[in-house]
Amino acid sequence: MIALYLVAAIAVFAAIRATVEKNTGRKLPYVNVMNFAVAGAIVLLLDHPLALVAAAAYFVGSTLEANAIASTYAGGERRG
Amino acid sequence: MRGVSGVDDILVILFAAVALIGAVSAHLQRDRFGKLIAVGIIFGGIAPFIAARGYLDVLIAVSLIVPVTTIIILLICRRDAHDA
Amino acid sequence: MTPEFVLGCIILIVGVIAAGFPRPMTYLGRLISLEIPAFGLLLIMLAYDEMLALLTFIGVTAISTFVLVRAIERKEAAP
Repeated sequence: MIALYLVAAIAVFAAIRATVEKNTGRKLPYVNVMNFAVAGAIVLLLDHPLALVAAAAYFVGSTLEANAIASTYAGGERRG
Repeated sequence: MRGVSGVDDILVILFAAVALIGAVSAHLQRDRFGKLIAVGIIFGGIAPFIAARGYLDVLIAVSLIVPVTTIIILLICRRDAHDA
Repeated sequence: MTPEFVLGCIILIVGVIAAGFPRPMTYLGRLISLEIPAFGLLLIMLAYDEMLALLTFIGVTAISTFVLVRAIERKEAAP
């Protein structure tokens, strides 16, 4: 039960830390930390077999989003 | 949250804080990538609310559609990303 | 007054202000700010257990974002 509160506190800390960061390249690791914490919270919140699939779907989607933002910020594959 | 256990107000406050930080940050950021990151933070805040209601299939669908929306917006960010 | 409803209303109000008065007054800033009230409305639909409406709304939001991106791209390519 303490793990859920710990994960939620990590999510809040990572969100605050990603917000106050000025450099965009340094924001993205903290967003990844928040995504890991939220994926863990989804698993710990419900005792259901589909919770694992939902957390995996959230994990894949959020990681893809963060990587797409990082790739575009770094220049992308082709520059218009 | 509801349906999980008795002590649940702290979790509601924590995840609501994540969503509100993202919403206020998305308005105050001036960089376009900062705005997109803040939209991702909002979704990180509201995903546990969908999970706590028990709609896990809806959470699967929504968490696969929302990053697609962000990637669609990134198509237009790429055009002048080097002079921003 | 469930917590989802209160949080959805707050995010909806913040998002309407953000979409009405975007900080960089550009098309792109307003398009990104348009995502925020969509999440607020998602939470309000979640509070009333309208799951089919929620899925339809998110799908239509993605499609309309694609249409708006095509429109903005065409507008900025040939001003």
